[in-house]
Amino acid sequence: MSASKILDQFDGRLRLFVYRYFLRRGRCPAVSEIAKAVATTIPKVRASLARLSESHAFMLQEDGELWRVAPFSAIPTAFPVTVGRRSWFGNCIWDALGIPAMLGKDARISAACGCCNLAMPVTVKGGRLLTTDGIIHIAVPARDWYKDVAFT
Amino acid sequence: MLLFRSERHVDRWCEQWGRQRGGTLSLAQGWKLAQLWYGDRLSTKWRPKAAAEAESVFRGVGLVGEFWKLTR
Repeated sequence: MSASKILDQFDGRLRLFVYRYFLRRGRCPAVSEIAKAVATTIPKVRASLARLSESHAFMLQEDGELWRVAPFSAIPTAFPVTVGRRSWFGNCIWDALGIPAMLGKDARISAACGCCNLAMPVTVKGGRLLTTDGIIHIAVPARDWYKDVAFT
Repeated sequence: MLLFRSERHVDRWCEQWGRQRGGTLSLAQGWKLAQLWYGDRLSTKWRPKAAAEAESVFRGVGLVGEFWKLTR
């Protein structure tokens, strides 16, 4: 087995651990918690997270902790998503919709108009979107999305 | 990627921020996009989408044109 294959498997295991932790605990694991759980060192976790961040599915904060585990945000945003008794934050409206899409569950997204902040709750039930009003605006072209993710 | 009440509110937001208007899609398109983009995220077989694959997803929900292009 090649070294890259071994790394792939490690990254895949770590990736799924982070998602499962998020789902179970409702928050993002710290780098130290990941290292302990997958029985490895913090530098190896940081290296894996850096590789996983190359696709932007994961993104890191300046301190090396996770910021984005798409569609989840590790920090509070204007897109809280409630599924049953659990709740998470999406990074944007696309990611907020991505949480029920990923889980295959009913959800309520407590969104608001980006302009005037009027409440615009979005409901997903039985795999269908029950809310029809609303327009999603993406500020920058697709190839520039990751130049300034916070603005995008 | 924000949600707005109407086209008028998108325009007002762009004016407030001094930004040119970007791309828009309906909430229904956004839901389809989210399903195609995130439906397999918890699979052990998930891999990041290549640019051409991502463009194919965009096309699948009717998002075409220069704004949605990732490949040259």
